[in-house]
Amino acid sequence: MARTVAIVEDDAAIRANYADILKKHGYQVSAYGDRKSATAGFRTRLPDLALLDIGLGEEPDGGFTLCRELRAMSAALPIIFLTARDSDFDLVSGLRMGADDYLTKDASMPQLLARISALFRRADLLREPPAAEEVLERGPLRLDMKRFHASWRDAPVDLTLTEFWLVHSLARYPGHVKDRESLMRDAHIVVDDSTITSHVKRIRRKFQAVDGTFNAIDSVYGLGYRWNN
Amino acid sequence: MRLTLRAQVVLVALVLAVIPLVGYVHVKQIERLLREGQEQALLATARAIATALHDRPQLLELRAGEPASGEMALILRSLARAESRIWIVDRDQRLLALVGDLKKRSAAEDPPDLLTRFVHPVAALVLDRPTEDFDDSLPESEIGGPVAASALQGVPARRWRQSPDSRAVILSASHPVWSGDDVVAAVVAEETTNATRSAYNRAMEQVIGLTLIAFVAGALALLLFASRISTRLVRLRDEAEAAIDSQGRVRKVLAGSKARDEIGDLSRSFSTVLARLGEYNRYLEAMAGRLSHELRTPIAVVRSSLDNLRLQLLPAEAGVYLARANDGLKRLDTILTRMSEATRLESLVREHPRERFDARDVVRGAPLAHPGKKFEIDVPGEPVWLRGAPELYAQMLDKLVANAVDFATGDEPIRIRLEPRGADAVLTVSNRGPRLPQAMAGKLFDSMVSVRARESGAEPHLGLGLYIVRLIAEFHGGTAQALDREDGSGVVLKVVTPLESGTRP
Repeated sequence: MARTVAIVEDDAAIRANYADILKKHGYQVSAYGDRKSATAGFRTRLPDLALLDIGLGEEPDGGFTLCRELRAMSAALPIIFLTARDSDFDLVSGLRMGADDYLTKDASMPQLLARISALFRRADLLREPPAAEEVLERGPLRLDMKRFHASWRDAPVDLTLTEFWLVHSLARYPGHVKDRESLMRDAHIVVDDSTITSHVKRIRRKFQAVDGTFNAIDSVYGLGYRWNN
Repeated sequence: MRLTLRAQVVLVALVLAVIPLVGYVHVKQIERLLREGQEQALLATARAIATALHDRPQLLELRAGEPASGEMALILRSLARAESRIWIVDRDQRLLALVGDLKKRSAAEDPPDLLTRFVHPVAALVLDRPTEDFDDSLPESEIGGPVAASALQGVPARRWRQSPDSRAVILSASHPVWSGDDVVAAVVAEETTNATRSAYNRAMEQVIGLTLIAFVAGALALLLFASRISTRLVRLRDEAEAAIDSQGRVRKVLAGSKARDEIGDLSRSFSTVLARLGEYNRYLEAMAGRLSHELRTPIAVVRSSLDNLRLQLLPAEAGVYLARANDGLKRLDTILTRMSEATRLESLVREHPRERFDARDVVRGAPLAHPGKKFEIDVPGEPVWLRGAPELYAQMLDKLVANAVDFATGDEPIRIRLEPRGADAVLTVSNRGPRLPQAMAGKLFDSMVSVRARESGAEPHLGLGLYIVRLIAEFHGGTAQALDREDGSGVVLKVVTPLESGTRP
């Protein structure tokens, strides 16, 4: 059965265009113009992936509210914010609400499609039996590939899936510089550079919350990042 | 010549100098009246004695040289004034009687009041002080002098003369003593002008004292007032100057004085003007952000429509237009990305956490983003500690390098140099190439200012790169500058940021 993608977008033209393209790519689409109808729709049937705009008609932060509601309904449902807002504050807020990705509206359709399929792929990985390497250990870091759970010095670090994949990508080959593009590839996401920077910053902060002296992720200015043991 | 407000008010205060002048003229007038009065009084005395003697001609039968006695002395004494001398000569110019003394007998004077005492030394410079120490002899020449002679001719006369030693002025008035139609003798009354002189001096002292006080008080009040006004104006000027920096940006808005006068009004209107200017500046700076935000939705409509269109079966020539539309869209995209980079940074630097980092690490990585370009990197041996955000510093350096790469001519390497200088870290990126246009000096680091020649079809330049440099330099507490190389062979972009305190001895 075709996967269902929910689009919540208040601009009718964009909504219809996205819906058309997604349908042509074989997804089932349910499109909503405001938060109320979307909430009602989600209650009836949860989609497999949600594309949310932040500003919904009269509600400037309607998308955030919707994201929280969706997260409450399902912890694993991939959520992408698709919005005209591009401030770092909105980006961080969006990710903090539990969204898996954040895309501005100037992203091209292939980019959006790649991201949707990447997120679906990752969702599939969750259901499939774990890969050969179940646990990745790098010094104090321990990544449980089965449960997508990370810990540092035996203390759990609460990473989102995107962040988990980024850490995994970096820690797999310590000492190697990963540029932003290969990081994106490894994390199955297509985002712009500053989103990666934002992700890495949040990852560092999460580890530092557990261990104040954490400095395993090096910035290589002009190139990318490196895990160092 | 610059004439301060204070100096101008002092000049205006000179008008007050008229007050002492008026006082002086007034006192002179009084002196004239006093003299007149004294003359009249003396003349009256002489006349009274002459009249008294007229009724008693027998009294004139005295021998010359003998003191007046009896009734004669009584008359003279009763009619004479204090401090006056009266003498009588007969037709043969023999002195018949001499009564009285020109000198003041009681030296007791009123104790001077405070004001007089205060003014005394000043007044002494200009005033002639009368003295009681003078030669009061009656010289022979005076007995036969013009005053007596005139009276003997039947005409009353008066005259001012000096005492023989010239230390006092003596006023004499004469009157004839008639016997029938003949003049039998002349009465001469004499007085010094010391009394009037003293009165004149006292008045003068008072005038000098009072006008001095009025003048000083007035001038002082004016000066204080002028100082106050000038202080307020200077403060307003300083505030107004401090409010706008060299690039014309409003640094802070004036508080606006609460004073309810014209200077207060001026301060308030300054404050309003600055507030409006600040709003306008903010509007301009936020323009890029707002534009990118507002344009994003319609662009998304166009893009998704084009994406849909591409999935349709279209006639062959439609593909050309589709490609062109896509190109245009891509350019719009670039513009939007640049704009949003600047706005995102604007909000980012507002609350970005600061950490301690070694700027050398950032500088060393600079060439990695530009493979195929030659660089010459010069960093010091010891760490250059800065307080800020290394990734922002890297972004700034990237913009500087990108700018240098774009403008560089020839294959001379781009020179990147980091060095501590005093309490600052100086980062310079220098390239061979055309000089800076003079007209743009100081504006290069503003939002949406570009000096690039417009080439059709080329990547759009919004002039946001160096604006980002400025934002990040300011985030690190520093400044950005663009200079020509000293030999004119190229351009140097310079960012000066303070070293983290405590890292230099």
